[in-house]
Amino acid sequence: MMELEEKAEELLETLWLGTEERNEESLPLENIAEAEKEPLSQLLKAGYIALSDDRVRLTERGRTIARNVVRRHRLAERLLVDVLGTGGMLTHEKACRFEHLLDRGLDESICALLGHPKICPHGKPIPPGKCCQLKRTPARKLVSSLSQLAQGQMGKVAYVYASESGKLQKLMAMGILPGAPITLIQSFPSYVFKVGETQFAVDKEIADSIYVRLVEPEDAGEIIEKELPEPGRKLRWRFGWWPRRK
Amino acid sequence: MSEAEAVPLRYDEFLEAALSRIGGLLKGHYGISRRAVGLLLLQGDPQMEREVKKRDAASYSLLQEIVSQARAHYNQPLSYVIALRRQQEARRLVSAVVTLRGKRRPGFAEWLSRAMMHPVSGSLILLLVLYFGLYQFVGVFGAGVVVDFIEGTVFGEWVNPWVTELVRGFIPFQVLQDLFVGDYGVITLGLSYAFAIILPIVATFFLVFSIIEDSGYLPRLAMLIDRVFKAIGLSGRAVIPMVLGFGCDTMATIVTRTQETRRERIITTLLLALAIPCSAQLGVIFAILSGSGMALLIWAVTVALVLLLVGYLASKVIPGERASFYMEVPPLRLPKLTNILAKTYSRLQWYFVEVLPLFILASVLLWLGDLSGLFGLVIGGLEPLVKFIGLPPETAVVFLYGFFRRDFGAAGLYDLHSAGALMGVPLVVAAVTLTLFIPCIAQLLVMWKERGAKTALAIAAFIFPFAFLIGFVLNLILTRLGVSL
Amino acid sequence: MRLWPRIGRGFGRGGCHGGGVRLGDGRLRKVGVVGSPNVGKSVVFNNLTGAYVTVSNYPGTTVDISRGKAKIDGEEIEIVDTPGMYSLLPISEEERVARLILFQEKPEVVLHVVDAKNLERMLPLTLQLIEAGLPVMLDLNMMDEAEAAGIEIDVKRLERELGIPVVATVATTGRGMETLRRRLAEYVRSRSCAVAV
Repeated sequence: MMELEEKAEELLETLWLGTEERNEESLPLENIAEAEKEPLSQLLKAGYIALSDDRVRLTERGRTIARNVVRRHRLAERLLVDVLGTGGMLTHEKACRFEHLLDRGLDESICALLGHPKICPHGKPIPPGKCCQLKRTPARKLVSSLSQLAQGQMGKVAYVYASESGKLQKLMAMGILPGAPITLIQSFPSYVFKVGETQFAVDKEIADSIYVRLVEPEDAGEIIEKELPEPGRKLRWRFGWWPRRK
Repeated sequence: MSEAEAVPLRYDEFLEAALSRIGGLLKGHYGISRRAVGLLLLQGDPQMEREVKKRDAASYSLLQEIVSQARAHYNQPLSYVIALRRQQEARRLVSAVVTLRGKRRPGFAEWLSRAMMHPVSGSLILLLVLYFGLYQFVGVFGAGVVVDFIEGTVFGEWVNPWVTELVRGFIPFQVLQDLFVGDYGVITLGLSYAFAIILPIVATFFLVFSIIEDSGYLPRLAMLIDRVFKAIGLSGRAVIPMVLGFGCDTMATIVTRTQETRRERIITTLLLALAIPCSAQLGVIFAILSGSGMALLIWAVTVALVLLLVGYLASKVIPGERASFYMEVPPLRLPKLTNILAKTYSRLQWYFVEVLPLFILASVLLWLGDLSGLFGLVIGGLEPLVKFIGLPPETAVVFLYGFFRRDFGAAGLYDLHSAGALMGVPLVVAAVTLTLFIPCIAQLLVMWKERGAKTALAIAAFIFPFAFLIGFVLNLILTRLGVSL
Repeated sequence: MRLWPRIGRGFGRGGCHGGGVRLGDGRLRKVGVVGSPNVGKSVVFNNLTGAYVTVSNYPGTTVDISRGKAKIDGEEIEIVDTPGMYSLLPISEEERVARLILFQEKPEVVLHVVDAKNLERMLPLTLQLIEAGLPVMLDLNMMDEAEAAGIEIDVKRLERELGIPVVATVATTGRGMETLRRRLAEYVRSRSCAVAV
């Protein structure tokens, strides 16, 4: 496969978003800026896009490539927000530049590192990769769904993934909102966790939708990060990833 | 000299702008601040939408537009965005007012809590609770020792002869005498069943239930059992009505209100009506089957299998949202005696206010039925059914009792058994059939009220033939296998 | 004497501007007890009214609304216990019922009972009640469990930050309940407009 220019990737992304999320099969040629004519021809030559009636559309091959570009972009956003803690300062440009650096293979390890996230920080779905089906768990994780934590492991809620608003409401009622300290106590036959001073029991479906950040971001970008002092906890996390024994 | 005024929380600029625009448009009275009305509108609260449509009809479309603009502005649902801001403020407040002084080490309560939730030790604890709490205390002590004393000694030797004497002396007519002290008399049947058999059993059950409830064991049981319950279309949350059903199914049917989805409520109502014996029934069944461990086991396994099978089928048939499980697990607490007693008392009070009139009514109806010959007709109708499942015809009466009150029927079974008319396989078959048999009048009425006529009647129409079918199959299997009990 | 500010006056809250005949109809002043499930609302209710409502160590037992009367400072006050609610945006039937009581019955004081050891999870509802212009008083209940967990709360500071009365109690043992009654009475008095008559 040939290396694509940053601009070409962006074009693929635009086309993919059109087909997948806005139901537009093709894009009129005149919508494409003069500066993007160069990458356009590159994509045409590679057979990723096709032209008909002055409209551009993705080919089957192009669709796969574009899907990957979107996947990398959204993973990059997750990485920036969840791990580097650039909360408020997240910009499209930053993620774009970052995404370009994540080539294939690397995106899988980042996906695993982030606990195979399903949505980007803006709530858009991240197209799943091979690694998501295999649920490969690396030795080190930065973010993980609650259901994937080891017993006794603790962290802070990074974000929640709720497909319907009722579920989101339940999670909010339990106090599961970004930044809340959370510890998994038990994972069978149901999941039991502690958030704040309260324990909750939930089923797998709910445990799957809670994502936990296992490290403190060096630069706490969020204003809400003025935390209660938790003696001994920070130190532990700086030195180890192993589950804390009871 | 007023203190600081409570200042409402401020959201981000965009939301604040939307809120002030909404506030400017609202003219109606809502009982709460316009700001709160605006926030509820933004979060898409359907009830508030209806209210606003009613009270501010003129500006409703404009309001809708503001709301949809705001929704489009954020990537996340507004309820989430708003909750985040509140959480942030709560966190700020906590960090300002709370000091943490070293965590205490998890103590015995925490250790016990983990043991209760562990699949292996948790199951063991469950068995212990069932054995000691239910079998030993309610079954052996309540339904055995206490019932023997109150029924045999208090009523049998003191009350009944005395009352019979008294009634015979004051009322000259045989027919009226029978109303009070005959075979179906209000006093000899109604009151003596209520106080001699039902009261001790129900009281011991509610006592155990109150202790279990106050200790915080139930949410742990819910957590343990969630997976099994999911297979029958319920969530772990359903343990509360289910366990309470072992006390009184009528009370438990009312508690199904707390369940989340309509589907769960219907399935729980069905299973309560079908396969959960109430404490009085349970106590009597324990008492009559306790002679043979095998008989008790066959009864328990059959009823449990029916529960799982019917639950599984119901979860396939009844449409609706799948249940999700989330529950707070409160710390284990040592129950307080005063609270336990007060609670047991208030439950008993409820039970008797609900039950006693029905007991008396049932006695009157039975007396009337006996007098008019209607009773004989119904029993005549039930007899072939009863024979069909291999029971002696006398048991038909028991099934008729059973409709008036479940425990009434079980108590009738107890009498037949004491008289030596019912033993071995037929006894087990009768116990199973009676357990499954249609709910008592009170439960049927509550089902009607809570679930609607259609559902209540459909459930009753299913249970009646189904209970006899299971009785028939069980009888067939047991006799074919040549089981002797 | 401490006079608590009257928050959220107007917006159909009855108010005092109706000519001051309020409470002249013999209606008792009313206190609504609200809070998330399993924080001890019913224990507080029982303690205030001397009545008995089933209390359990599991969430979601209060299906019905309990009403009772409390005699505080010689004055009879109606106390209404509501089913548990997590927020003003209901997800369950119980929450809808609780919200309806708040919005329609317009109690003179809304007593928000919270679990003191879980303040962070509890305060968002307090903020919502304040936001709605309701006359809120906060009861930090289960203080004993909070203390056992090593949590210390600066009640005075919280009172200042929120701008509403805050008390700390252990309803099961009765600790702090006297203060709760006293503050409740003061608040109810300052909230109602007997003065205007």
